[in-house]
Amino acid sequence: MTVDDIMRTDKGPALMLANEAIVRGALESDVKVVSCYPGSPTAEVLDAFSEVLQHFGDYKMHIAANEKVALETIAGASMAGLRSFSSMKSVGMNVASDAMFSIAYTGLKAGCLCLVADDPHAHSSQTEQDGRWYGEPAYVPVIEPSTAQEAYDMTKWAFEVSEKYKTLVMMRTTTRVNHQRGMVKLGELRRTPFKKNKWADVRAPYFTVGATARALKAKLLKKIEGLKVEFEESNFNWVDEAEGKIGIIADGVSYLHSREAMQNLGVKLPLLKIGTIYPLPEKKIAAFLKRLDTVIIVEELTPYLELHVTAIAKDANPKVRIVGKRSGDFSEMLEYNVPIVETVIAKILKKPLSLDYDAVLKRAEGLKSILPERNPIFCAGCPHRGTLWAFRQALSRLRIRDKIVYNNDIGCYSMAYLSPNNFSDSMLSMGSSVGLSAGMELALEDKVIATVGDSTLYHAALPGIVNLIHHNSNVTLFVLDNAVTAMTGQQYNPNSPLNAGELPAKKIDMEKMFEALGADKVTVIDPYHTRDCVKPIMDAIQTKGFSVIISRRECALYGDRLRKERNEPIVPSVNDKSACRSIYNCVREFYCPAITVDELDHKMLIQTDLCDGCLECRQVCPTSAPAHVDGTTTR
Amino acid sequence: MPAGLSDKCPCACRRHYDEVIRVKDTYNIMFCGVGGQGLMLLSAILGKAAVDSGMEVMTGEQHGLSQRSGSIYVHFRVGKPLSPLIPYGRADLIIAMEPNEALRYIEYLKDGGVVIMSSRVMPPPGETGAVAGDKERKTKYVKVDEIVQKIKTVTNKVVLLDSLQLAVKAGNPRAENSVLVGAACACPDFPIPGEAVRKAVLALVPKKTVEANSKAFDLGKESGGSCLGT
Repeated sequence: MTVDDIMRTDKGPALMLANEAIVRGALESDVKVVSCYPGSPTAEVLDAFSEVLQHFGDYKMHIAANEKVALETIAGASMAGLRSFSSMKSVGMNVASDAMFSIAYTGLKAGCLCLVADDPHAHSSQTEQDGRWYGEPAYVPVIEPSTAQEAYDMTKWAFEVSEKYKTLVMMRTTTRVNHQRGMVKLGELRRTPFKKNKWADVRAPYFTVGATARALKAKLLKKIEGLKVEFEESNFNWVDEAEGKIGIIADGVSYLHSREAMQNLGVKLPLLKIGTIYPLPEKKIAAFLKRLDTVIIVEELTPYLELHVTAIAKDANPKVRIVGKRSGDFSEMLEYNVPIVETVIAKILKKPLSLDYDAVLKRAEGLKSILPERNPIFCAGCPHRGTLWAFRQALSRLRIRDKIVYNNDIGCYSMAYLSPNNFSDSMLSMGSSVGLSAGMELALEDKVIATVGDSTLYHAALPGIVNLIHHNSNVTLFVLDNAVTAMTGQQYNPNSPLNAGELPAKKIDMEKMFEALGADKVTVIDPYHTRDCVKPIMDAIQTKGFSVIISRRECALYGDRLRKERNEPIVPSVNDKSACRSIYNCVREFYCPAITVDELDHKMLIQTDLCDGCLECRQVCPTSAPAHVDGTTTR
Repeated sequence: MPAGLSDKCPCACRRHYDEVIRVKDTYNIMFCGVGGQGLMLLSAILGKAAVDSGMEVMTGEQHGLSQRSGSIYVHFRVGKPLSPLIPYGRADLIIAMEPNEALRYIEYLKDGGVVIMSSRVMPPPGETGAVAGDKERKTKYVKVDEIVQKIKTVTNKVVLLDSLQLAVKAGNPRAENSVLVGAACACPDFPIPGEAVRKAVLALVPKKTVEANSKAFDLGKESGGSCLGT
């Protein structure tokens, strides 16, 4: 990622990822406090803010322990009179939402924007979730861009709206907007020095319960009336004009798909683009419906726009035919693309498609029958590979492989669910492995095992752990401590001695914490000494009470970065074919991407340019055949 | 015509360029490969080259899970793009850093489109597991020839490059990206001026590797040109 266009101070065009454009927009708005927890598809927002933090030196930033803390942090900064920003993925808002509902009631002071990114298709999320619905029940305004340019423009606008109405503003995006690169017309970047306020100068009450809450609710409803007028007049809702009685309403990336679908079909239909999701521009929608006899609603996931349009149509134009999900034309599943949208528009217009997409897909499907699957997999050198291998060995030796329940959690280690491990009984949400374990331990005769990474541990697992210890639960917890929040790009977390902008931070002492909480056994293992891990894991599993196994070795990608900084070469391994007996421990149940089989002699063959030199394959090899290419093998 | 295209371009694509702009507004490239191969750099290089040539770019990129070795892609659209994702059957060019991945995204290629692919197969571990697990040793890895044969039912314009070997020849095994973009510049209808692409390559690769990347670019263009007859 290049942050040059974020740092330049002049105006002009730039090719930017929407996530980068949002960062630029916030910096142009003189944002002063940033707090985020990384989550795809928003991680690049955090990364960019972190990368330019020291360059600007005029804003403060936390990589927060979780999204609720992040949202509270920016709300606190706003109450204290500083503009603030957070970004989080869809499910992150679930964690933060408890605070968000109250923040809407109390209101805020300085401009405060929270980016929330949904992930239709669940590319990198546990669910497909439609965050547009958060606005109305919480009474928090929600806006949604389609392009990088609009993401930038809306970011700047959001700070103004937030300050004018003293409210949190939520900007909702989807993966295809966050990870879209496009041209952005930048404004000048004029930052002011960072300066703390005095509470006496900015003070206001931010307290809500009972009678106060009821009074605040009445004020909040008035605020929303004001926002309705504001959004009704907003330039972010517009009509691409065309003749005809058939029109389209769309938001987000669906707006872009709709335009291209029409271009492909050689038609122009009036297209109402919605940029303010809550409150919706109801009058604009009503006026649009009045001129139509058919309206096609193009939106991913739930029928949010469709239900509101249906309600508006009841008065505006009850006879209008509404084509959407409830009519069976569009699906609530997955993300859309041009062929999906073109197919529905073509059907309504009774026109042939510009291309027989089904035939193209069918032909491709036939051609691809020879293709091997390429599922997500642990990287070469990943310490989790060794931990899981040792764990399976321990279970076999204890003869309890079918007498355990294994609750997995959110992180790279979620992939224990995939081949070759095929090994996970549950995975719900951040920290859920420990909560589920409490219930399962009450209800099952089996040994209950939970797994979290270091970032998940501090994010949402701690209350569940306290609960397990307090209730004398008989559970073994694996903490896969790889030093960083690996899956989203190796960000720092409370387990790191650094934080945003590589600035120093206090690393939480994990062993001390577990001991202080009263864990019955705390064991630390090194998964690179894979063989030596088996016995301690067996001991921990057999310990009565709450036992913790901390499997500690830094993420391979992070480790590579550190080695590069230290100018240390990565020494790959080679398989000594004279020692190799084709037992394939290194292949079966191991799945290292650097490992192949030589078809000539059927011995294992390491692709040295992919190998990280971790030697885990040597550790699992009964004849210790793999070794470092330069003879420096030490384990 | 977008600004910046008046530059003299020594690459063969130049003589076809005016015609392309007349018949088609947007040129679609599907990048694909295996996580860790540097696809994002490839996309950044062409993005910079296009923008520096006054053209518009829109991409749909795959970020997120940072693990290496998965299947990855970038939709890259240059000209007058309206949306970030290439519709099926509309890619003018697939640039694949790994042959399996070229076939994996074949539904995006238009009939008669160009496929530029590295010949180096990187077998996914599941396939290795199957090969190792077959006691009769009948299970074999998918071969690049089989993949090319399948792709040739969609197009006969397949440029198969030993990009790793060419990169090594140029002086840096990590310059495979430059070989592939060099070959792309040899496509008859490739809209971005070759010199702009070369400049972007040299601007974005690590300074120490500029010379090797420049040579890799030339070797790629040469090989691509001889394959495509341009």
